[in-house]
Amino acid sequence: MLKIEGITKRFGGLVAVDQVSLQVNQGEIFGLIGPNGAGKTTFFNILTGIYKPDAGTIMFEEKPFRIAKSGIARTFQNIRLLKEETVLDNVALGMFGKTSSGLWAAILGLRSAKEEEAIVHTESLRLLELVGLASYEQLEAGSLSYGNQRRVEIARALVAKPKLLLLDEPTAGMNAEEVQEMTALIRKIRENGTTVILIEHNVTMVTGLCDRIAVLDHGVKIADDSPEAVISNPEVIEAYIGKVDEEGVTQHAAN
Amino acid sequence: MLAQQLLNGVALGFHYVLIALGLTMVYGVLRLLHFAHGVIYMIGAFAAMIGILYLQLPFAVALLFAMVVSGIVGMSIERFAYRPLRGTHPITTLISGVGISIFLENVFQVMFTSDSRAFPETGITTSIITLTESITITNTKLYIIIAGVVCLGLLYGFLKLTKLGIAIQAAAQDIRAASLMGINVNRVVAVTFMLGSALAAVAGVLVAINFNSISPTMGALPGLKAFCVVVLGGLGSIRGTIVGGLLLGVVESLGDGFMTDLVIDKDAIAFVILILILLIRPSGLFGKHIEKV
Amino acid sequence: MNLMDDMLNPYYVDIVVFLIIYLLLGLGLNLITGYAGQVSLGHAAFYGIGAYSSAILSVTYGMNPWASMGSAVVITFVISAILGLPSLRVREDFLAITTLGLGLIAQSVFKNAEITGGAYGIDSIPVPSLFGLELKNVGYLLLVVVVLLAGIFVMQKMTKSRIGRAWMTIREDEMVAQAMGINTTYYKVLVFAIGGAYAGAAGALFAHKASYISAESFGFTISVTVLSMVVLGGLGSIRGTLFGVSVLYLLPELFRLFKLDFMEMKNLDVYKMMVYGLLMVIVMRYRPKGLFGKTGFKKKKRYSAGKEAAIKGGDQVA
Repeated sequence: MLKIEGITKRFGGLVAVDQVSLQVNQGEIFGLIGPNGAGKTTFFNILTGIYKPDAGTIMFEEKPFRIAKSGIARTFQNIRLLKEETVLDNVALGMFGKTSSGLWAAILGLRSAKEEEAIVHTESLRLLELVGLASYEQLEAGSLSYGNQRRVEIARALVAKPKLLLLDEPTAGMNAEEVQEMTALIRKIRENGTTVILIEHNVTMVTGLCDRIAVLDHGVKIADDSPEAVISNPEVIEAYIGKVDEEGVTQHAAN
Repeated sequence: MLAQQLLNGVALGFHYVLIALGLTMVYGVLRLLHFAHGVIYMIGAFAAMIGILYLQLPFAVALLFAMVVSGIVGMSIERFAYRPLRGTHPITTLISGVGISIFLENVFQVMFTSDSRAFPETGITTSIITLTESITITNTKLYIIIAGVVCLGLLYGFLKLTKLGIAIQAAAQDIRAASLMGINVNRVVAVTFMLGSALAAVAGVLVAINFNSISPTMGALPGLKAFCVVVLGGLGSIRGTIVGGLLLGVVESLGDGFMTDLVIDKDAIAFVILILILLIRPSGLFGKHIEKV
Repeated sequence: MNLMDDMLNPYYVDIVVFLIIYLLLGLGLNLITGYAGQVSLGHAAFYGIGAYSSAILSVTYGMNPWASMGSAVVITFVISAILGLPSLRVREDFLAITTLGLGLIAQSVFKNAEITGGAYGIDSIPVPSLFGLELKNVGYLLLVVVVLLAGIFVMQKMTKSRIGRAWMTIREDEMVAQAMGINTTYYKVLVFAIGGAYAGAAGALFAHKASYISAESFGFTISVTVLSMVVLGGLGSIRGTLFGVSVLYLLPELFRLFKLDFMEMKNLDVYKMMVYGLLMVIVMRYRPKGLFGKTGFKKKKRYSAGKEAAIKGGDQVA
């Protein structure tokens, strides 16, 4: 459903992403990994439209895509919620692109606007239930625990029923138990029919969860295969040396 | 005529450079738009006036006195209006700066009334120096140019040769790294404000002599135009500020001489330039590429 | 109505009328700066455009004052949208300087253009009449009260709607706004247009009340005064604006009224500005949310190292 061809992005003399091509299929959980500075975040920012690539094309369901409008939603690496707003309002924000009532509807209090608000309200509650935060709806988003704030972010991304969800390090800063809960949640999201792409540092989590994994190193894609094939790929091991061991060991110990 | 206007423009330009240098340095170190800078320029002129009238100082000493007073005022503004807000949204500091400048401007209006007055006798009598048949310059304008060049030289020497100067440059590169390297950031910031304010005082005093006029609101426009200079030159770039200041001086001077029926005042030209630069080339003439300022 | 005119001291009526004009200015600025987070130091430009539009249409072109006032609001709406365009390109604090520049340029145009009467300004601006009755004192007061109530009502509806949510999200985190599919360009331009239209309405009402306008009335001082009032009351709060503007506007009037003799009356405006300036510093330091505000200016997260590096690249000293 997502087809990326020859994406390149340069910052001055530095080539952050170098001719990367990828294809993500309907219903997949697709992982993107790589050592620090491999260009993962830059790549993600191109996918989400923050950067314009210097070369290459991105097609979403055979069409050039624009985030949100095309049914793509994202979360952020450092959680970006409106901290002083309620959990419910934060989730409702995700519906923005799906609603359309304008200035006059608001000023005149038209029925269409009210109906739209009602739909937004029920949908947001439904999503909060899905991520297991139904009872938190009226709390200030900033008062929630880190893990729960991530759930709110995911609910916000899912409320517009995207076909594709982009998760930027969904388990960053989480303890082992929270990681497991997040893994279960991502599986549930896929079961509900949403394709997922995630960037991760936590290699163990990615290999356990994803159907397919691509590895970036110095902006170049060095592998794109099943988890088993990827972790035994010598090039990947070389790029990751120390990293896999270290994280693998700590993760196993923690699990 | 053209050469005459160019020469006037250069004098005006050095006056802008002297004001804008302080803004550039402050922006370089703190990424802060120092709105109260124009008030410091005005305070410099008043300090010199007080020095001459009430303390009976000779002019050169009065000028030094003005630089010291302005330097202290500049540091105090940083200490009380900006430092407590460090790390907050840039607008918070900007509004605080707007507030302090309005406050000080009106304090001076209470003390000295809002009317302009003549600058006291300095022992300098205005005379006209004839350079060629058609080009002349008043000695006071010449002093502005000379002061501009001297101050730039001193500033350059300070930044390149002294430890403190190098610390300021380091802080301008990356203030967090500088503080990790053991540079006392508060001290660097204080010195930056002091230096910039002293330079503004020089500009204020010389302009007050040149026009033989001094008033509490005299700093408002030059202070704002200095922002235009800083943006024009490329934020935080001293070289850019020099070029930007001279350019603005020349453009204004030419506008004054040749475009008589403009729909805007000469004073508004700077802001037209500012807006065009921000929209078309936000990195200014000498800044590297910036995606969005 | 003439009876009421006799009963109420016209001096007090005028004070309230001008207060309400300031309230409208404050509401417009709060929409732009408080709700949508786009700082404007050039609010007086919108005010002036409204005033001059209505004055020119009614005096030079003989338009009915009602029609000219309505047109003035529409004209200001359009011009403000255009003047809001820099907000798409520049960061908050530079936007403040840019809008300040726009304000000075606008004032300069008012002062020099032929159509605005140059330095002299425009006089004999007609008073609107209703059912053959000229709206003076109390009549005009009723008119401005109606406009104010409508303004508050519309603002409440807008800020609580989907549009208000878009503005709030842009203020809090533009990156999130974009990711949520909020068309930030559209909503930024829209808030300048609407906030400007409020100021335009204030300007038109001012012109027909004062009957004489000149460029002096639309300077930086007005922009700053209104900003300090809004900041004191609290950004992003309608109640705050009503309170902040009322207190700061009426205090000096009270001093004038009671002729307190511990200071010279001729300096009243100077003292007033002194207090406004000091208040801005104090509020920013101790209560950046203002008295009623829900939100202050918060440090926004910079998104990524790449962008930050790109920004830093431009700012080296020497």
